[in-house]
Amino acid sequence: MNTTISSRSEDNYQHLYVVIEHEEGKPIPVSLEMLGEARRLMDDFNKRYSSHEKVVAVVLGNNVRKFCEELIFYGADAVIYAESPELQYPKNLVYTKVISQIAKDKKCVSKISLDSDAEKFRKPRYMFFAADNIGRHLSSTVLAELESGLASDINKLVISDLEIRHEHKTKGQLVKYNKTLEMYRPDFSGFLWTTILCLDNRNPLIEREYHPQACSIIPGVFQPLKQDTSRSGVVIEYIPKLEENDLKIRILNRKIVKSAVDFDSCKAIISFGRGIKDSPEENIKLIEELAKELHAEVGISLPISKKPYAVSESIKSKYFIPDRVIGTSGRKVMPLLYIAAGISGAMQHIMGMKESEFVIAINPDESSPIKDECDVFIKGRIEDVIPKMIEELRKQKVLMEVRK
Amino acid sequence: MDRAGVMGNLLNVAVIVKLEPDFSEGNVSYNADGTLNRAETKSILGPHSAIASRAAFYAKVKYDAYVSVGTMGPPIADFALQQAQAICDADELHLYSDRIFAGADTLATAEVLKTGISKMENGKKMDIVFSGHRASDGETGQTGPQTAWKLGYTFLGNVIDYEVDIERRVVIAKRLITLQGFYDIIEEVEAQLPVFITIDPSYKPFFRTISQRLAFVKHMKEATNRAQDYKRYLKIFNAQQLGVDMKLVGLPGSPTIVYKVEKIPKAKASRKAEIVDGSDSEQIRKVVTRIRDVLGGMIIR
Repeated sequence: MNTTISSRSEDNYQHLYVVIEHEEGKPIPVSLEMLGEARRLMDDFNKRYSSHEKVVAVVLGNNVRKFCEELIFYGADAVIYAESPELQYPKNLVYTKVISQIAKDKKCVSKISLDSDAEKFRKPRYMFFAADNIGRHLSSTVLAELESGLASDINKLVISDLEIRHEHKTKGQLVKYNKTLEMYRPDFSGFLWTTILCLDNRNPLIEREYHPQACSIIPGVFQPLKQDTSRSGVVIEYIPKLEENDLKIRILNRKIVKSAVDFDSCKAIISFGRGIKDSPEENIKLIEELAKELHAEVGISLPISKKPYAVSESIKSKYFIPDRVIGTSGRKVMPLLYIAAGISGAMQHIMGMKESEFVIAINPDESSPIKDECDVFIKGRIEDVIPKMIEELRKQKVLMEVRK
Repeated sequence: MDRAGVMGNLLNVAVIVKLEPDFSEGNVSYNADGTLNRAETKSILGPHSAIASRAAFYAKVKYDAYVSVGTMGPPIADFALQQAQAICDADELHLYSDRIFAGADTLATAEVLKTGISKMENGKKMDIVFSGHRASDGETGQTGPQTAWKLGYTFLGNVIDYEVDIERRVVIAKRLITLQGFYDIIEEVEAQLPVFITIDPSYKPFFRTISQRLAFVKHMKEATNRAQDYKRYLKIFNAQQLGVDMKLVGLPGSPTIVYKVEKIPKAKASRKAEIVDGSDSEQIRKVVTRIRDVLGGMIIR
């Protein structure tokens, strides 16, 4: 077993860095979720390897010093922050520069703890970003700058010592990779889990080190810790080195807009998926009608946004759009009533609706995963069940009117 | 305006596209366990690549841009180039194809694309590079920004609208930012060329003036004709012809590997469903009554 190689560069890479996102002067939920998972992983790591590696939160902005302690209360051991008017809003270019500078900064590491060997430090061991509009791009460019690997949209993480035999990575030899981050990502179908590893090339022909092992994390997956104000840690200021060239982009204005589809202000949502397939046009019209009766907004599952059916242009442009997607690739909703019509219940969809108050599924297949995520499972096809529901709703409405 | 002297084009744009499984019904095939049957599923120009091509076509119509389209893939990926050309009236098509590129992760793919883009239009510098927001199959959305970074171009993500100020050599773009649990934000930015833009799925170009509409018709026609004869515009590069560093591409240049693929285990049931027979009107009546209770604020589980 080749243990010399695995321990050779051991101290070059230390700690888990978490890139924090914030809006309106406070961290957004996924930031705290990432800190929670980071804390759990590193507590276990330190126990198992008898080490003292830290969870390090990285925050950029204009006025961010004020919530650094909060990040410690939620699990960080140290917070590195950089402040400048240029950093007020996330701009990919300058954010990538500053985060990459911080990730390579020995001075910051020397302040994180006395245990860290700052002289040997080259880059973080692990790095987390949020898998949202900002973090997805930022993680890509930061890891391009740090020249290491990145896995996106992760929902499970495990650190373990693995024995790997790989044509390129190890030239077919069995090599032990210690402290490897196993990054699990559900594929687009929601039924397969792919485990991604970021591994140094130990093949003498293409020898190369790849650190940090980095990923972007799906919002809403991990539990944040309970805020604990007795936790303590260090807060470190980093003074960014900006060049004129880094500021080639100017924000002219920023407007808050209502999303094209407003899920947040309605009590009921009806979503449909591939179960409309036998007669898409007619089934969508039925769903429209039911939505009208319930004053509900209409959502879709991710496959529908790929426009899989030939329907009229007006239906396509109204419903087969990313704005209506519910799930990890779209919106997270929590209405009083959620009806999933012809949706099998892929994990990504469940993540987007599981906090709804009352869930009804309409599906002919009792073995589909949605059955375990609903309160009432109506066994049947959309075209058979929804007309009955509409009829019954209208009947009961008439009764109500009469009683008034 | 010495730029205009040589070729007559004031703007050089590139589009990076991808051949992807066709998810439309009738073409897509799923295995019994719900996963994609890749062998049975046809491949086409990815939908997000098509949107990026539309954005390039806008530059063609409005600024008379020189348009190059590039892709990395197997020899059959020239089909994606042909489809893209039919959308954007491309002046040249690049296919980067070599067995050594197979299995590349996003970083190694970005290395090939960066090198390819630098060879477009005989090595002229591109002003704008467009790519789709993410692929339908891989869905990482990483290749675009990583290519941008390797090129040293300013990266603008989720762009829903853009205009170019040719005189000042700047692009003015609107970006859509959506964060979980927050309102949406539309950010208007101005950036010096060159830039790398990933196009948001909601992008829709508009041609407002008569002269733009005339140019639109002319270029649409030209696009159709060119795509029929696309091989005339096609250049194929292997690794050696591109001159890429073999250690930075394909599997050797990929930091990440796929360690294992497994079926996602069934999660513990988070709710206990009551099963209702959808053909039984009396049972549906009860469900509807509960719906009314729920929406009336009385939650009965």
